[in-house]
Amino acid sequence: MVFPLPTLAEPQHFSLAERVLFAALAVASVALFWRRFGPILRNILRSKQDADFHLFPAGKRIRDFAGEVLLQGKVIRQRPLAGFAHALVFWAFCAFALVSLNHCAALYGLGFLNPAGAVGRFYFYFAAVFALGCAVGIAGLFIRRFFVRPKWLGEELSWESGLIALLIFVLMASYLGAFFVPAASPAARILWWTHAITLLAFLPVIPQTKHLHLIFSPFTVFLSRGSFSRIPPLVGDEDFGLVAGRDLTRIVSLQAYSCVECGRCTEHCPANNTGKLLNPKEIVLGLRGYLNELGPASEVPLLGKHIAQQAAFQCTTCGACEFQCPVGIEHVPIIVGLRRGAVNTGAWDDEHGAKLFLALERGSNALGLGAAERDKFIEKNALPIFDGTQEYCLWLGCMGSHDPRGREIVLALVRVMHYLGTSFGVLRKERCTGDAVRRLGNDLLFQQLAEANLEALAQNKVTKMLSICPHCVRTIQEDWKEYGAPPAIEHHSEFLARHLAQLPRGGNQEQIVFHDPCYLGRYRGVYDEPRAVASRAGLLVEAPRHRERSFCCGAGGGLAFLGEEQGERVSHARAAELAATGAETVAAACPFCNSMFRDALAARGEGAPQLLDIAQLAARGLPEQGN
Amino acid sequence: MKIIVAIKQVPERDAPVRIDPAGTWIEESSLQFALNESDAYALEEALQLKEKHGGEVAVVSAGPERVGSTIREALAKGADRAVHILCDDLHSRDALGVARLLAAAIKPEQPDLVLSGLQSEDLGLGQTGVIVAELLGLPHATLILNVEKTETGVKVKRELEEGWFQSVELPLPAALSIQSGGNKLRYATLMGIKRAKTKEVRILTAAELGADSAPVVRMERIALPTKQKSTQMLDGSPKEAAAALLEKLKFEARVL
Ligand code: SF4
Ligand code: SF4
Repeated sequence: MVFPLPTLAEPQHFSLAERVLFAALAVASVALFWRRFGPILRNILRSKQDADFHLFPAGKRIRDFAGEVLLQGKVIRQRPLAGFAHALVFWAFCAFALVSLNHCAALYGLGFLNPAGAVGRFYFYFAAVFALGCAVGIAGLFIRRFFVRPKWLGEELSWESGLIALLIFVLMASYLGAFFVPAASPAARILWWTHAITLLAFLPVIPQTKHLHLIFSPFTVFLSRGSFSRIPPLVGDEDFGLVAGRDLTRIVSLQAYSCVECGRCTEHCPANNTGKLLNPKEIVLGLRGYLNELGPASEVPLLGKHIAQQAAFQCTTCGACEFQCPVGIEHVPIIVGLRRGAVNTGAWDDEHGAKLFLALERGSNALGLGAAERDKFIEKNALPIFDGTQEYCLWLGCMGSHDPRGREIVLALVRVMHYLGTSFGVLRKERCTGDAVRRLGNDLLFQQLAEANLEALAQNKVTKMLSICPHCVRTIQEDWKEYGAPPAIEHHSEFLARHLAQLPRGGNQEQIVFHDPCYLGRYRGVYDEPRAVASRAGLLVEAPRHRERSFCCGAGGGLAFLGEEQGERVSHARAAELAATGAETVAAACPFCNSMFRDALAARGEGAPQLLDIAQLAARGLPEQGN
Repeated sequence: MKIIVAIKQVPERDAPVRIDPAGTWIEESSLQFALNESDAYALEEALQLKEKHGGEVAVVSAGPERVGSTIREALAKGADRAVHILCDDLHSRDALGVARLLAAAIKPEQPDLVLSGLQSEDLGLGQTGVIVAELLGLPHATLILNVEKTETGVKVKRELEEGWFQSVELPLPAALSIQSGGNKLRYATLMGIKRAKTKEVRILTAAELGADSAPVVRMERIALPTKQKSTQMLDGSPKEAAAALLEKLKFEARVL
C-alpha cells in the first residue's frame, strides 16, 4: 500500500439479483421523477418565446454564472453563515457527480475510478473533504431551519426540507463510512446499498419540492434578461403585458419554477415590511400555482385567485427582491408585466392612478400643474434656454420644474455649475419622462411621452444631459431606448463627484447619513459618487441598510402618485432608520426620496435631522455671490 | 340606445398661447392639442349609458386633419365609430356655422341622444350644443352632471348656482350638454388604441354636407389678457386687518 490512509470500500462482486434489483429501482426512480418533472418542463417549453431575448453577448452571462452559481457569491454575500453552509452542500454535489456515477457503474463492473489507484484515491479523498463539509453544512442548515427558524422561512415547518436534509446527510455519511470498513465486509455492502437507495430516493423528491432549483437555477441565472429590472418590449397587436397564462414567457415560467422559497425577497421588500399585502415570493409562487393548475395557454387572468391585483400595485419597483434573489428571479419585470396587463386592458380601476394618467394625457407633467408654472420658474431664476451651444441640457423633470424642494435642488446644482463655469441650458418645454406611468404599466401613455420627448431633444440637438432625478435618468437612458436613441445622460451625483476637486471644501464635523435611492444604487450601480460628495461636506455615517441593501423611500413605481398606503408608510419606516443613526443631516440624491422624507421627518417632530440633497451639500461651501 | 357625442379638439390646457400675425387667431403650429374637457365628460356619460343599456356610441368632430388624433382617442376610450367633418377653417366659423355642420352630420343618424360638452376650452362660447339641438328640433337641457334612463326618456341632474341642483325629465330623442365633473373619466389604454384601428371613421366635408354658410359673427381681434398685479397693504391691528381682508375677499375679489 502506497498510503497508510484508509481506502474507500467498494463491494467486490455484485450478484445478478442485485444488479436486476438496482436496475428496477433506478427505472422506478427515473419514472417517478419524470412523472412530476415532465409536465413542469412542458409548461416552460410551451410558454411564449421571449421576443427580446439575446444570448449574446454572453460575457455577462458567463460572469454571473461563475459568480452566482459556481462561486455562490450572492448566496454567501447576502446571508454569510447560511450561505456558506449552502455553498458547502453545492460544491459537494458538484464533486460528487463523478463519485455517484462511479458508484452506480461499479455495480455492473464498469467503475472508472479505482479506489486503490492513484487517480481514484486522490479523487475519493477530494470528494471526502467536500462530503465532510457538506455533512456539516447540511446539519447546520437543518438546525437553522428547524430550531433557529428565521421568520422569512415561513411559519410552517417544511417536512420536505427535513427529508431532503436527511437524505443528503445519509448520502454523505454512507460515503464517508465506507472509508472505515474493509471492502469485503458485509458492512461495505450495506453502506453501498444505503448510498445507492438514498441516491435513487433523492431523484423523485427533487421535482416535488423547491429542490427543483437544483436543476433550474443554473439555467435561470444564465438565461436572465440581461440587465437589472429590464422591462421587455411588447410585441405585436395582441401583447398587452401579462394578462393571462398565454402571455407568460419561457423566462417567466422558468423563473416561477426556480424559486427556492428562501424568502430573501420578502425579507427586504419595503411593502411587505410595512404591512402591505404584497409579498414578492408569493407573486412568484402564485405564478407557479397558476401554471400548475391552468398551464401556459390559459385565458384565465393572472390577477385573481393566484395573485391579487392589489398586491401588484403596492410594489415600489425598488428592486430589492430582484437584487437579493439567489436564483436569479427577476421580480420587477414580472410585477410591471402584471400591471401592464391590468392597465393596458383597462382592468385597473384606481382613482389616483386614473388621475395621474389623465393629467399626462392632457398635460405635460405628472403633478398635473400648468407648464406656465415651469416657465415662470425658469424666467425668475434666469435659467438659460438650451440652444445647442451649451455643453449640457439640464433636464428639470416634473419635480425639478414644479416641486418646491425639487426646485431648490435644481438651483443648488445651477449654482455649482455656474461656479465651475460649465455651460448648460434647459428645454423650453419638457414632458414627463413617463417613469411613473411606465412602471404602473401604461404603455400607451409611456410611448407618447417618450416619443414626444425624444423628438424635442433631437430637434434641439441635445447630446449630453444632466438630471437631479434618478428616475428621469433611468427612464431616459434605458426605457426610452424602445422608441429611439436617447442622448447620454448622467445623474448630478456623478457630475458633482467628477468635479469635486474644483469645489471648495465645505466640510465640518457634522454627521451625514446618505440614503441610497433605489434608482441610483441598485438600478444604476452608483454608490460611491454621492458618498464622495457627502463626505466632503461632513462625516459620513451609514444606516444599517445601505448601498445594495438600501431600503426604499416608498415613492417609486408610481406609488408617489397613488393614494394613502395600507399599513405603515414606507417613508416613515425608512426615516426612522435614518434618524436612528444619530446623524444631524440626511443626505438624499433624488427629489422623490426628498419629498417622501420631508413629510416623514416632519412627522417625527422636534430633533429630527435636517434633509438636504447632495447638490445642496455641494453648494454649501460656495462663496455667497456664486451665481 | 344610439348616442352621438359631439367633440372638439382644443389646444392643450397648459399650451403656451401666442397670437398669430393677423391678430384674429392663435398660432397653432407649436401647439399640442387634446380633447376638450367637458366633451370628455360627455363621452364618458355616453359610454356609461351604453354599458348599462346597450346600443352604440358614435362621435362626431369638425376640424382639420389633426383632429384625427382626438377622434382616435375617443374611439380608444370606447366609442364605436366616428364621423370627421374635415374643414381647415373651423375658427373662422361662428357657433351657428359649426352647429350647422354638426347637425347636418348628425341628422341622418337619427340618434336617441345627442351629447356635447358644455363649452369649449378655447372659445368658451357654450352655444354650439344648444344650437345643434335647435337645428335638429330636439328638446334639450344644459349644465348636466348626470343622465339616467327612465321608461319614457331620460332624467337629468342639472347643476345650478350656489350648490343647487335641478332634476328634469325629457323624452327621447333629446340633446344634452354635459358639465365637467359629473363622472370619473376613464384613461385611454393600449388595448383601446389597438382596437380603435379597426373602427370606422367616416370623413365628410362641409360641401358634402351642404352646410356651408357665411358667418354671421366674425372674429375681429383677439388679445392675451393683460396681467395686472395690485398689492394692497392693510393697516391696523391684526384683528382690523383680518376684518378688512375678509371684506375685500367677499366683495372685491368675490372668492368667498
Ligand atoms: S420591487 Fe421592492 S417593493 Fe416591489 S416587490 Fe420587490 S422588494 Fe417589494
Ligand atoms: S423569489 Fe428568489 S428570493 Fe424570493 S423566495 Fe424565491 S428564490 Fe428566494
